[in-house]
Amino acid sequence: MSEYLIRRLLQSVLVLFLISLVSFGLIHAAPGGPATIYIKPNQSPEIAKVQLHNMGLDRPIHIQYWSWLSKMVQGDFGITFKAGRPVGDLVWPALKNTLILMTTAWVMQLLIAIPWGIYNSTRQYGLSDNTAAVVAYAGMSMPAFWFAILMQEFFSLKLDLLPLSNMYAINKQGQILDLIYHMVLPVTVLVIIGMAGYTRYARASMLEVLGQDYVRTARAKGVSENKVIFKHALRNALIPIVTILGLDLPGIVAGAALTETVFNWPGMGRLFVDMAYAREYSVIMAVTMIVAVFVIIGNLIADILYAVVDPRVRLSGKGATSA
Amino acid sequence: MALALAIVMATALFAGCSKGTKTENPTTTTPPATTVDPNKPVDGGTLTIGTFSDIVTVNPIMIDDTSSADVAGFLFAQLYDVSAKGEVIVSPWSIAKEPFAVSADKKSYTVKIRTDAKWSDGKPITADDVVFTYKTLSNEAVGSPGYSNYAQIADVKANGADTVVITLKDVDSRFEYSLTANIVPAASFKDVKPEDIGKSKFGTDRAATVTSGPYTWAEWTEKQYIRLKKDPNYWGQKPHIDEIVFKIYADQNTEVQALMKGEIDFLETVPVAQLEALKGVQGISIYEDAGPVYDYVAFNFLPDNWPNKFVPFAGAKTRQAINHALNRKGMVDSVLKGHGTLLNGPFLASGWAATPEATAKWEFDVAKAKKLLEEDGWKPGADGILVKDGHKFEFELMTNAGNKRRESYAAIIQQNLADVGIKVNIKTLDFSAMIPDNVTPGKYQALLLGWQLGLDPDAESIFSANYFPPAGQNSGWYKNEKTDKLWEQGYKVTSRAERKAVYADILKEFANDPPYVFLASQNLMTAYNQRVHWAKEDAPVQAIPYGYFYHILNWWVTK
Repeated sequence: MSEYLIRRLLQSVLVLFLISLVSFGLIHAAPGGPATIYIKPNQSPEIAKVQLHNMGLDRPIHIQYWSWLSKMVQGDFGITFKAGRPVGDLVWPALKNTLILMTTAWVMQLLIAIPWGIYNSTRQYGLSDNTAAVVAYAGMSMPAFWFAILMQEFFSLKLDLLPLSNMYAINKQGQILDLIYHMVLPVTVLVIIGMAGYTRYARASMLEVLGQDYVRTARAKGVSENKVIFKHALRNALIPIVTILGLDLPGIVAGAALTETVFNWPGMGRLFVDMAYAREYSVIMAVTMIVAVFVIIGNLIADILYAVVDPRVRLSGKGATSA
Repeated sequence: MALALAIVMATALFAGCSKGTKTENPTTTTPPATTVDPNKPVDGGTLTIGTFSDIVTVNPIMIDDTSSADVAGFLFAQLYDVSAKGEVIVSPWSIAKEPFAVSADKKSYTVKIRTDAKWSDGKPITADDVVFTYKTLSNEAVGSPGYSNYAQIADVKANGADTVVITLKDVDSRFEYSLTANIVPAASFKDVKPEDIGKSKFGTDRAATVTSGPYTWAEWTEKQYIRLKKDPNYWGQKPHIDEIVFKIYADQNTEVQALMKGEIDFLETVPVAQLEALKGVQGISIYEDAGPVYDYVAFNFLPDNWPNKFVPFAGAKTRQAINHALNRKGMVDSVLKGHGTLLNGPFLASGWAATPEATAKWEFDVAKAKKLLEEDGWKPGADGILVKDGHKFEFELMTNAGNKRRESYAAIIQQNLADVGIKVNIKTLDFSAMIPDNVTPGKYQALLLGWQLGLDPDAESIFSANYFPPAGQNSGWYKNEKTDKLWEQGYKVTSRAERKAVYADILKEFANDPPYVFLASQNLMTAYNQRVHWAKEDAPVQAIPYGYFYHILNWWVTK
């Protein structure tokens, strides 16, 4: 196992390096730059050159990349072009805010969706199953931002029950209760949209397991239905779900840009969009690398959990293989 | 189950359709009568302003975006201020004590400043601060975004503690508008190298930022809000409102909802799409005023941009014809819903440089357009498209993708010109790609874009042959020797009357030899809660930069 982990770790470093190379190249290849965002009459081109120089953008690209890389491995993400803010000051608070929102939404959607999906698989086409299907299709077809605005219109404007946006009220910074009050709407939006997929996966996976021969055998033996579901079928049904969970992990970090924008939640998704518009390369790279790290961790966790949950799977040097 | 799904979807649709439950309020521009005299200012209260993006820095030297400039305007005093008509004046909040004096050779400006003006840390504002500010703004190594407004400075000197003399390299009457700069404290930048000023903590770190305005920078919670508090030690005319809060809304829909809910009191600019929703809301007023942005179609005269190097716009009569062929009033009515002003020249209708008698009228006249095209040698081909010397009249109109207003204009232009036999192909590009790839190097056939005008009407860098790409912004390669000389004359003469006469001559020449089709300037709408009050002379002036806050220091709020 440890040999497997070490191998994966080395692979990850290589992958991260390649990701940084490609991202850096793509960002710099995109037309426009931080100095060309605003064009006014009488803007002199000499000033654009000076600004580019002050930002360090007139150096050859491999020098720029090397400079960025050598700082990054030491933990220094650099500074923004405008006003020279340390990138860490922008990214770490945004990461914390996104984690608060997305982890809550993710855990809630799992706690609701998986049991509900599994319950529905045992009572197919009943009222609960049909309701779940409606919710699932609605959640999958609705654009998140539209749903978010609708919720705002209804619960905040018309009913005046919940706040419109932001994390805290102006005078209540840092108060947990106020935070929870502000989280209700965005978490509801994220849960309803995200729950859709998981309910269907859980249901489908459980149905497939329940159709297997060994389940039939267990029933024939006279095992109680509860024991059949919880002791025999559940663990097997969870295998594909576990894989999906691992792959979903980066989503917690990347944030939901549109939802964060509508609710003015100062998270990673919004930060990335704002900085992409402003062509702040150092922040874009920092966010990309952080998400990349989580993608790799997510994949690793998914692979390991897969081996844990399914005894047939043995982690070899090359990765998980099914017997 | 399908039925249940359909019902859910239908309900969701209707939830969004209903308007506000508040009653219709037909009079939307006058504040309601209250038992308190509505014209008497009241001290105290908080004004909450909605903004669409967070500040980047409040350091006036490096500010490049609207949000930062909005906040910095409350924190830093200007040397001179600007009147509603766009004139440079001394106001109760200016650092200058009296109007500036111009030397006999017209190259030097002498400014006397107040002796009682102070920084927020108690130190006095002196001539050294003014000298430092202007030296920094005009120093190329600093890379200030406003550099070109100060590039003509040859020298800045202090004469004692309260007099500053600025000398220019050459006579330039545009410079008076540069005397309205926000002054920064020299002491905060001691030992800071010019190229490092942009990276200084001044402007992003509250503790490191010393201010001079009527409000101090009390709080900044990133991406959420900025709070400004009235400074009890302020040296100028004190404002009425105690606290100003800028609340950030990344999404415009949410911002408008916040205004409707009463979470914010003031919305600088209402998008046209949200106007109808706001009109019916009780307690919200809308103030409309002509804005400083105008849209135009630029002709490109460079043969390299055309197949077979044939420039269809070469003849002046052709361009006059195109001006007459476009239904610009129709564009204002249908695209701007009437919230705009037709423009016939490069000057705003409300500014001092506009001379209606000298300006071309460009009435919508299809018959006249056809006649002019015929006189210029165009004849309709077999497919109805005009032909001249074997070349079809067909061109590509470029504009920026995502701008609904311009995309609508382009569609109307395409239709109008098809009616006179000209084929227009519309091409939309992403703005930040279009600027370096097409606009800056002048690589297009026709361009539909806009200019945001500043205080000075000079537009030499847009229309003069001395400002061809890449040095200047005459991206259409327009050349007219007569107007080239006139533009230069426009800032070499110094009296307002003389300058106005020069610009009138330019307008006359543009009537014969148009460089553009000038379309229209859009009106800007400000929406505010009726608890916000201002005297008539303190109302927002959208035509001047940041004019939505014009004289906000005189406004007051009631419960």
